[in-house]
Amino acid sequence: MVDFDPELIGRVFEVTDPAEVTAEDIAKYCAAIGDANPLYVDEAAAKKGPNGGIVAPPSYAVTFRNGRHFFTHVPRYGRQGFDAGKDVEFVAPIRPGDKIKLSSHVKEIYEKTGRTGSMVFVVVRSTVDNQKGEVVAHIDHRFMNRT
Amino acid sequence: MSEAAIASTFDAVNVGDTLGPLEVNLSKEQVRKYAVACRMEAPRFMDDEGARKEGLPGMIAPGNMSLGMLAKLVTDWIGTSGARLARLGTTYRQPVQPGHVIALNGFVTHVEPAEKRVEVDVWIENEDGERLVIGTASVEFPR
Amino acid sequence: MATILDLHSHSEASEDSRAPLDAYLNWIKLRHKERPVDGIVLTEHRQFNAEADYRALEDKFGLMVLKASEVETDYGHVLVFGVTDEMTRRFDFANVRLSAQEVIDEVARMGGVAVPCHPGRPTVGLCEHYEKRPPLENVIAVEVLNGGSRKGEDERSQELVRKYGYRAIGGSDSHLVSLIALCATRFDADIRSIEDLVREIRLGRCEPVDFRPKRKPVAPAVPVEVAQDG
Repeated sequence: MVDFDPELIGRVFEVTDPAEVTAEDIAKYCAAIGDANPLYVDEAAAKKGPNGGIVAPPSYAVTFRNGRHFFTHVPRYGRQGFDAGKDVEFVAPIRPGDKIKLSSHVKEIYEKTGRTGSMVFVVVRSTVDNQKGEVVAHIDHRFMNRT
Repeated sequence: MSEAAIASTFDAVNVGDTLGPLEVNLSKEQVRKYAVACRMEAPRFMDDEGARKEGLPGMIAPGNMSLGMLAKLVTDWIGTSGARLARLGTTYRQPVQPGHVIALNGFVTHVEPAEKRVEVDVWIENEDGERLVIGTASVEFPR
Repeated sequence: MATILDLHSHSEASEDSRAPLDAYLNWIKLRHKERPVDGIVLTEHRQFNAEADYRALEDKFGLMVLKASEVETDYGHVLVFGVTDEMTRRFDFANVRLSAQEVIDEVARMGGVAVPCHPGRPTVGLCEHYEKRPPLENVIAVEVLNGGSRKGEDERSQELVRKYGYRAIGGSDSHLVSLIALCATRFDADIRSIEDLVREIRLGRCEPVDFRPKRKPVAPAVPVEVAQDG
């Protein structure tokens, strides 16, 4: 079985400095994803929409941190690990002017075997907040490290 | 916006309804654009040479980009119905390589009338029909 | 009367699956014309829930739900059908390094059958291990059709069957609702219980069936860029 310090689980290992989101950041992200939805990029249309103004696409919530920062705090797991997937709960939209911070802890560590061999999975859970202390999203980042 | 069917109201959604398929001719330039926009300019996301130095056969798209594309598949399907994407989970099974046509697909798998919530399978497949990324999403319609 | 069952599937109980059981059964009803299965076998990763009782769902959907397990061994992954308390005491199902030979022999001794799955898959399939080590003894059947197989993997599994005379089964290895029953196994006999299933696999009275839709050819991608990478 995989060997790790149980104290790791649940303990917040990082809270990021708030990062400000601009309408321009959102527009660049939309261009990169190929998303021309007016709710995200057209001020006039967005004002008439359900959010009363421009919001980021929901997936923008995962762009602040990759969870990979965990490995700088706990180098025991060696290399950074591969992004094995994410589970995201979208709670509230992100708007231009929001200052977004993430608070992260290790949720789970487990072992399994697959195509590429024996692997240790580390699940990092981040809570994403805005400047009002409102939760914007919860993200479980799953990282795969080969043993 | 996707040409495929759009979920106009909760009542119009049925188990078995499809999202997409949306074919994307994913270019290296687009992947680079994503990596720069999201401040993830690791060599494997920028060019083949960089990827090979990291032990990969060639340039790959970040997992987050696949997540973003699948989220777009769902939000396009939601359209102007007032519904919202409440949850999206993804599993990355194989790297997504630019320079290939990928197809984004989805199926409605469950409709929950009490909560006006719809569950959707989503995935990205390559030209051989292999599923590179799989996931599920929850969509909540206005009550 | 013949029975067709998906012998390899994962519900939400498996950490990498996102499929509730009731949604699986509902999907089968919806797609029954294309995937005419009589039921499924849940083969959760590295665990077995002896208490789980699916009779209410079986009645609701008119489909059979049997329970088994997928364990991890030194020769790759193995499906264990006919799991008993004695087996779960003998083997820690959460151990990713079980001895495949012990699993095959002890499970048989305890009244079940252990079937190596996706043998053509790298690392966790028999084929690769047989290249470097002696073949396992007393293998009755292997999973030749797996819904999660990549190009060439099922073909490698079929080679194994030809070389060693194993019987063959099929299963979807589904982790998503819409992928259930894409591959399955057809039994000549009327299967009503896990004991029936174990007996028929042991006797080799089964064959894999493929319900995957035939793919339309896809035009190759036209490169957007001409410039060299560097």
